[in-house]
Amino acid sequence: MTHNSATEQSPLVVKGLVKRYGKVEILRQLDLEVMPGAVHGLVGLNGSGKTTTLECLLGLQPYHAGEIRVLGQSPQHLHRQHGDIVGIFDSPSLHPQLTVRQSLEHAQLLSAGASGRQPRTPADVEAMLGIGRYSHYRIRQLSLGNRRRASIAQGLIGNPRMVILDEPFNGLDAGGVDDVLALISQLNRDDGTTFLLSSHQLPYLERICSHISILHQGRIAISDHVERLFNASQLRLLVHCSDAARAGALVQGMAGVTVEASEAGMLTLQLEGVSPALINRHLIEQGIEVEELVRERNSLDALFRQITSAVPVSLQEAS
Amino acid sequence: MTGLVTALKAELYVARRSNAARLLVLMPALVVMLRAIIVRLSETGQQARDALIGQGGPVTADNAWGHLVDSFSVGLTMLGLMLVAYTAWSFASERDSGALRHLLIRSASRGGVVLAKLAAAHLLALCALLVMTLGIVAVTTLLWDFGPVVEDGYELIGSAEIRSEVALGLKLALLPIPAALAFSMLVAVCSQSATQAVTGALGLTLALDIFKSLLGDAAYYLYATFQPSLLDQSYLQDVSRLVRGYSDVMIDNRALALNLWIPWPQMLLFVVLALLIVRKRKL
Repeated sequence: MTHNSATEQSPLVVKGLVKRYGKVEILRQLDLEVMPGAVHGLVGLNGSGKTTTLECLLGLQPYHAGEIRVLGQSPQHLHRQHGDIVGIFDSPSLHPQLTVRQSLEHAQLLSAGASGRQPRTPADVEAMLGIGRYSHYRIRQLSLGNRRRASIAQGLIGNPRMVILDEPFNGLDAGGVDDVLALISQLNRDDGTTFLLSSHQLPYLERICSHISILHQGRIAISDHVERLFNASQLRLLVHCSDAARAGALVQGMAGVTVEASEAGMLTLQLEGVSPALINRHLIEQGIEVEELVRERNSLDALFRQITSAVPVSLQEAS
Repeated sequence: MTGLVTALKAELYVARRSNAARLLVLMPALVVMLRAIIVRLSETGQQARDALIGQGGPVTADNAWGHLVDSFSVGLTMLGLMLVAYTAWSFASERDSGALRHLLIRSASRGGVVLAKLAAAHLLALCALLVMTLGIVAVTTLLWDFGPVVEDGYELIGSAEIRSEVALGLKLALLPIPAALAFSMLVAVCSQSATQAVTGALGLTLALDIFKSLLGDAAYYLYATFQPSLLDQSYLQDVSRLVRGYSDVMIDNRALALNLWIPWPQMLLFVVLALLIVRKRKL
């Protein structure tokens, strides 16, 4: 696989992106960086600006301020990459009168002249997406799920270096979602394809993303590798014990331990740099019967809720 | 330039598989051929009635030239309106469906997409014109005879002169078509949806047709004046009378000169405006 200098840098860099609809500022100094070979999830509440962000990245709508570089190009010049970057959209953006095979041949024309990566054939991508038997069906005759698969297939035909997907799981059944997740993982692992996915289906993103960014109030509230986001030194520990109130008092003074809640038989602790084993030993030594310790894994859902439930900046400013 | 060629190839790939494009190419030809057959049937009936009551028909009744020019006039009116609708639809419907996005991201700039669509519309117009010409020539040859206009043994107008006038009439009638397509593209770029684009482009084209008769001499500075239309003021109307031997046809040389150059700057203006506006639009 050959890489030019643009691929060695971050394939996508956004700095200070501002986008307004009328007087409403949708994106406020948004910064985002996607690392080479990443599967980067962009999550946010409905109306948070995910689709607007992706459309700005792909040059589909103008923005008011900021700088965007995608594979070293500005969004207005993405066509110079000849299909090295593709967008797969919420609604399957295909010609309804064409058959699946014709749509793929049409996409082949559009991707002609892409970089050294070997383009795929229509039969290849039909097989990858499991739509071979619909090859001669017109797009308008397909179910929503199969249209979605056809849309992904036509995006992948040129073997792009970067794929931007907006809500890729909409309209897919459970099997379809598994297939698409497996396909994204496979293309990322085997071909080094970089993905940026926007979705509100957090459990799916959690399964495949190497990086997550949470878009809230027009800005990226948090953006990092999932290892650092979810397996940080901070964790929550649920302690089922005989005397939660006394247990709380005993651990309260320990460095790196914060008591979140203490209810009948249940103590909730926030630990930073402290192992659950140490808490267990300390409580037993003090004569507390520990019935169960539950290490609560930080989830994307929990993180997302924590961030998006924060008081809006505008309200804080007003108060 | 490579992107423009790629986008044009992609456009033609879709057009070759589109019923709308097939309709655009075939329908004007079929309609004018059907019209010619109906006219011939009607003439035959009239001639039979005239023979029964002992009257002779007009000197040019069996001459094919007049019918050929009329067929072109009808066909170009229909093709002009269909092209305006098609051009607006081809851009706006793909913007609505999102299909335009792939073109934009992978092969051409915004301006390139507009130019590729315009070029594709022109190629389709050429195909439609070719099919229509073949159809008109075939049907008029079968139904009437081509020849000079002769009255009482005196040749009013010879075949060579007729051919030359028909060629000039067609040339002048075709010149405004690129401006009409560019105008339609401008409306499509400004519109919010495919429905708005098609109704806007057709509505404004018809409005120009209506208002040109109110503009007096100023109408000569409007490309639509020279286009065969429902309220036709094009030179093809004069040719139709000329090839039938009418001697009252007044040729306005100033109008002919304006017909030759007026459509081009207007086409350029519409294209430049479309290219500027498309840069600011959400696609």
